[in-house]
Amino acid sequence: MRPRLMPYAPLLFLTATGAQALDGGGSEINLTAILMFFLFIGITLFITWWAASRTRTRSDFYAAGKSIGGFQNGLAIAGDFMSAATFLGVTALVYSTGMDGMLFIIGGTMGWAVILLLVAERLRNLGQYTFTDVVAFRLERGPVRTMSAIGSLAVAIPYLLAQMVGAGALIQILFGLPYESAVILVGVLMTLYVMFGGMLATTWIQTIKAVLLLTGGTIIGYGVMSLMNFDFGTLITAAVNTHAKGAAIMAPGVMFTDIITIISIGLAFVFGTAGLPHVLMRFFTVPDARQARRSVAYAIGFIGYFQSLIFIIGLGAVVYVSRNPEFLLADGGLIGGSNMSAVHLSKVIGGDLFLGFISAVAFATILAVVSGLTLSAAAAVSHDLYANVIRHGESDRDTELRISRITTLVIGLTTMALAILLEGENVAVLALIALAIAASVNFPVLFLSMYWSRFTTRGALAGGYAGLATALILVLLGPTVWVTLLGFERPVFPYAYPTLFAMLANLSCAYYFSVTDKSHRAFAETESFDSQWIQSEIGPVEEQS
Amino acid sequence: MLSQADKEILSNKDFRRLVTVRRWVSWSFLLFLLGFYLAFGLLSVYFPAFLARPLFTGGVVPIGVAMGYAVLAMIFILTLAYVWVANGLFEPLGQKITTEVER
Repeated sequence: MRPRLMPYAPLLFLTATGAQALDGGGSEINLTAILMFFLFIGITLFITWWAASRTRTRSDFYAAGKSIGGFQNGLAIAGDFMSAATFLGVTALVYSTGMDGMLFIIGGTMGWAVILLLVAERLRNLGQYTFTDVVAFRLERGPVRTMSAIGSLAVAIPYLLAQMVGAGALIQILFGLPYESAVILVGVLMTLYVMFGGMLATTWIQTIKAVLLLTGGTIIGYGVMSLMNFDFGTLITAAVNTHAKGAAIMAPGVMFTDIITIISIGLAFVFGTAGLPHVLMRFFTVPDARQARRSVAYAIGFIGYFQSLIFIIGLGAVVYVSRNPEFLLADGGLIGGSNMSAVHLSKVIGGDLFLGFISAVAFATILAVVSGLTLSAAAAVSHDLYANVIRHGESDRDTELRISRITTLVIGLTTMALAILLEGENVAVLALIALAIAASVNFPVLFLSMYWSRFTTRGALAGGYAGLATALILVLLGPTVWVTLLGFERPVFPYAYPTLFAMLANLSCAYYFSVTDKSHRAFAETESFDSQWIQSEIGPVEEQS
Repeated sequence: MLSQADKEILSNKDFRRLVTVRRWVSWSFLLFLLGFYLAFGLLSVYFPAFLARPLFTGGVVPIGVAMGYAVLAMIFILTLAYVWVANGLFEPLGQKITTEVER
């Protein structure tokens, strides 16, 4: 039985949670976890207070004053990617399906190659605070920005929800806090960070968390390998011998068997990552394109390293967690579900002390990622919609910042309410749906606007909305919503991941409606491609008087 | 429509070189990686038994796992290569063009 108490003032609640959890039958309280958790909250609130005093202009709020160096930004970007969905979700995938998890591991890293080779430098050269700046560079500001802002929100909100749902479940298990209170705690903290600390606080929190997570992952990975005498073959043999599916986990096809699903997942990772608004926003926090490139290069190093650990951690969990009665429920399932496999493994590796550390790190991960997402959603509303569409680029600084803070508050409250309703959803699936929308709405529009001279406003709108509508409708009719949420027997659309179809819908509409656009506006847009191309290659060339 | 400065840049020999080399480097790296990933996806659907086969006879590490780690390593190496070319060639070319135009 789970304690169901009216959630009120979460910070206050937390101090009383020990007693609640004990008689509510939750897991026992880990003192290290609680201490680390308070330490992290203390440090991040201090950073927020410090950042608030340095956040005066729009550039401060949206882009940390463009003062972040490549190395730190690389850590922060890696931190954005190494979310709870990656650390807990992909580990869980390796834990339950073995090699199918490899598809996620490779895909997740592959997306960064796309960002490095096609996007990062040009984005920094052309934009100011959001990727929408780049799309609207030569296209008509109002309609195009509205569409891109909708795309940003359609990615940020489900992704935010994925993280919050995961956070609620995680904190419920780790700290014995009721799910609702956990969600509210996360929601209140992220709202505070973003409202007062803006991008500066968000970047520092993300940096600290990235270091903590890399450290934690390294210790677990090292621990597993040392138990295996540093022989990868021994680990694989042990995992095959322990796993219920035996040798089948070392072959693909436990979970994904059809080519459409595999291609859709691949596309979502490869192109979706380059369409995540909170990730793209980080490229504006560095002074120039050179630092933007350094950022991705460092990020790829950290992410690739972390991804290679995930496979080891997942297999380690198979060996040391899946048959360990300490972590199992009466029916043989894992306490807290398979998403907890990495956390349980940390107890095997380093006892209660390390379990406390990893619990706090997992919590920090969620907080840092949701803050970045909230900021990108707030920027989509205040910078893209309010300042550029409603005020036609003529907004005054104080009003715009006030709007972004109000938006932050609204987003915080809305996502808290939705996360409470969505309790129990699989976090990795929710996150992948967000990635699918990023791949089928934001990325094609951004890519075509940077690379294709014939791309017009009409094409951008047709493509963007076609991609969005296709993605949303197919997710609605697919197994995740139609069957699991709405309770119908069979899905109308058989695939969980709509990326392949939605991307094709976007690209074909964008192509058709651009080439058939014979308006004066389309002509002028094609004309101005050359000067945009020059700026994307070598950066803005200042006054040539 | 185009400013005089922009016209000069477009016909600038260094700019043309910058664009050509960068295009070639970016796309060849990318297509190589995507091809490898696609191959992995196709193999896992149509020849799962191949990916499950041990890399070395008598060994236990399957080809699929080895391929996975190989892709991670290749992404890392190509990243370093790109940064190296960018710092050694794209940056100086870009700066040269910018100063020529500003003069």
